Amino acid sequence: LPAQDQPAGKPVTAVVQKIEIQKLRQGDNLILGFSIGGGIDQDPGQNPFSEDKSDKGIYVTRITPGGPAEVADLRVGDKIMQVNGWDMTVVTHDQARKKLTKKKEEVVRLLITRKSLEEAVKHSKGCHPRQ
Amino acid sequence: DSDIQKKIDHEIRMRDGACKLLAACSQRDQALEAAKSLQTCSTRIMAYMSELQRMKEAQVMQNVPRSDAGPMDGRLPCKGKVAISLRIPLMWKDTEYFKNKGNEASPGFELRVELYSCCSEDDYSAGSTPRKLASKLSSSLGRSAGKKLRAAMEPGACSPVSNGGAAPLLLPVPSVGPKYHLLAHTTLSLSHVQDSFRTHDFTISGNECSYWLPLYGSMCCRLAAQPHCMTQRMMGGWLKVKQCGGDPQTWTKVYAVLKATSLFCYQRQEDVEANVEPALTIGINKETRIRASEKDPHSKGQNICISNRYGGEEVTHTLNTESREDTHRWMEAFWQHFYDMQWRQCCDDLMKIELPSPRKPAPVTPKQGSLYHEMIESSDDLTSTVSDILARRMQELELRSQLGTSPTWMSVFEENCPKSTGLSFRPCSSRLSGHSPHSPHCLPSRSPVSPHRRPQLGLLASDASLTSDSDSHCSTSPCCRRHGWPEPSSNFPLLSSSPSRLRPRTLSLDAKLSTLRGRGYGGGGTFQCSCQPPSSSLLAPLPAASRSPLSQRSTQTTLSCSSSTSSNSSSNSEGSHSPESSEGGPFSRPSPARRSLRNLRARLDPRNWLQSQV
Repeated sequence: LPAQDQPAGKPVTAVVQKIEIQKLRQGDNLILGFSIGGGIDQDPGQNPFSEDKSDKGIYVTRITPGGPAEVADLRVGDKIMQVNGWDMTVVTHDQARKKLTKKKEEVVRLLITRKSLEEAVKHSKGCHPRQ
Repeated sequence: DSDIQKKIDHEIRMRDGACKLLAACSQRDQALEAAKSLQTCSTRIMAYMSELQRMKEAQVMQNVPRSDAGPMDGRLPCKGKVAISLRIPLMWKDTEYFKNKGNEASPGFELRVELYSCCSEDDYSAGSTPRKLASKLSSSLGRSAGKKLRAAMEPGACSPVSNGGAAPLLLPVPSVGPKYHLLAHTTLSLSHVQDSFRTHDFTISGNECSYWLPLYGSMCCRLAAQPHCMTQRMMGGWLKVKQCGGDPQTWTKVYAVLKATSLFCYQRQEDVEANVEPALTIGINKETRIRASEKDPHSKGQNICISNRYGGEEVTHTLNTESREDTHRWMEAFWQHFYDMQWRQCCDDLMKIELPSPRKPAPVTPKQGSLYHEMIESSDDLTSTVSDILARRMQELELRSQLGTSPTWMSVFEENCPKSTGLSFRPCSSRLSGHSPHSPHCLPSRSPVSPHRRPQLGLLASDASLTSDSDSHCSTSPCCRRHGWPEPSSNFPLLSSSPSRLRPRTLSLDAKLSTLRGRGYGGGGTFQCSCQPPSSSLLAPLPAASRSPLSQRSTQTTLSCSSSTSSNSSSNSEGSHSPESSEGGPFSRPSPARRSLRNLRARLDPRNWLQSQV
């Protein structure tokens, strides 16, 4: 379905982390050094990283060793919620890609969520019953 | 010395012949064969030259007097026969098997396995292409790589057998003709010798052509070595044996043969040939201790004591020889035998080396239901085209999907398949470089970001060079508009979509390739190794058409996703088919079943979860 016909996304509550990545110039290109998968136009069942197999979000599928993303501590399996303020939870694959590859932007600020974050928070909550 | 020179001359003549043939022939197969011969001859020449070099150097060294000559100086370990059988897992074919009949080497050998391939870039008419591609690639791979191995292993008895890259000689290479390119290599040595198959990593060459052929990055091989000390009788003669601890006077006369890991003592010399069991077998291995003792007052020659440890016990056999010279000869033989144990694990047990039978088919694997298996098996007789196979396949699968079973070959592309973990799939780099100057579409060439990536698990991911100016350049770049597969309605995303949902301008693998070729080599008729097409396109003919209108300018610039090559054709030819038939080169033949085949291939594309590199 085209983006405008997609059903509205479900409200999401997540533990997020900010990650700022400085793009690296390689020749003509500015690269971040990671790959994404997912999108509302993609088959979410194929996503190996998502817990909910109906999750059509954008996920990090690969990190270039030594690249800017790795340096910024982005990890495989991270789900990208926002890029420079733009929502990434209800976007097509290519829309996501474009948000990350704007030529004029040298820095991307991501909001990501990852399972381990949630675990850590849960765990810390458990240790401190008085919240 | 002159022997090698003769070999060199012979190879040079062969090579000249191959060059001439290459220039003269018009048939594709001929050209391929000639190019192969050229490559192998060149390699052999290089190897012989470096061999010659080494021998000359050795001669020079010998003439230099050496101050401290020890007892082992000048002693060389025995040679052995080294043979390798290997199989390389390939993406479109389960594996490719090669066997080599064995070459002489010394224990310090180095076996360099190089994998070459030659792209046959024409013949990309729809329908017939994949069959030809598969068979050509597999056969050229099989034969050329096989021959390459032989060439790499042939030069002489001395190690190393590496490609004589150090040779300063530059051999002229014809500019036309199919070229073989090194895809990957690895070097094996004694430590890799084992009686079973092992997996070794390939070092991928990282040149453009490596991307074209999807290798898993490893190969399995059985490297066997039979040192001569294990296969030949190193020494034989009459001895007298007595066992320590017994009556010092009881000597038994035996005919002893030193071979492999034992000293076999027979009652009669004839027994050796007659395969009669030896009367006594004394182990001679790396644990054995042998020493010559003082002259025995009771006998003529000297005693030789052989001690072995069996469990906690030490057992010593005493041999007595007829004369001093005999003693000396036997001791020499034993010393040499120990020296031969530089072959290490090869001396523990004899490894079998089979002579490969002339036209042995690949080992029969249980029918895995792999599509690619079927492709290759059928392509043996080259009668049925891939389209037929695919059509049959589709029917089978549709039937099966109704029954609720999942096609097994899909598991190759599933991330949780244990088979796929551990394989490092070498992603392809897709780029377009070179374009026909009269193309109306913008075609900046971009270099791949980094060719060396290892994606997670078994997922196929493509490294595509991205232009981040997709926004500024074009309103919509074509790949933006290419969507993944229609959502599956069942477990079989590849099969569930009904034909009506497929886009009309579904273009197939060969269409992409021919388009690329056509653009890259507008002249046609020249054979050049095309390095453009990503290996992904071999597997993933995604539907290329888009729903939204495309700007005419936006075409081949962005290749952000796998099989991105599909985008250019569709965007170019809004209403017409891509020009695959016209620009396919001198050998292309259009096929009538193009459309249905494209549909089939589109539906069979296993990669339907896009990934993009940013």
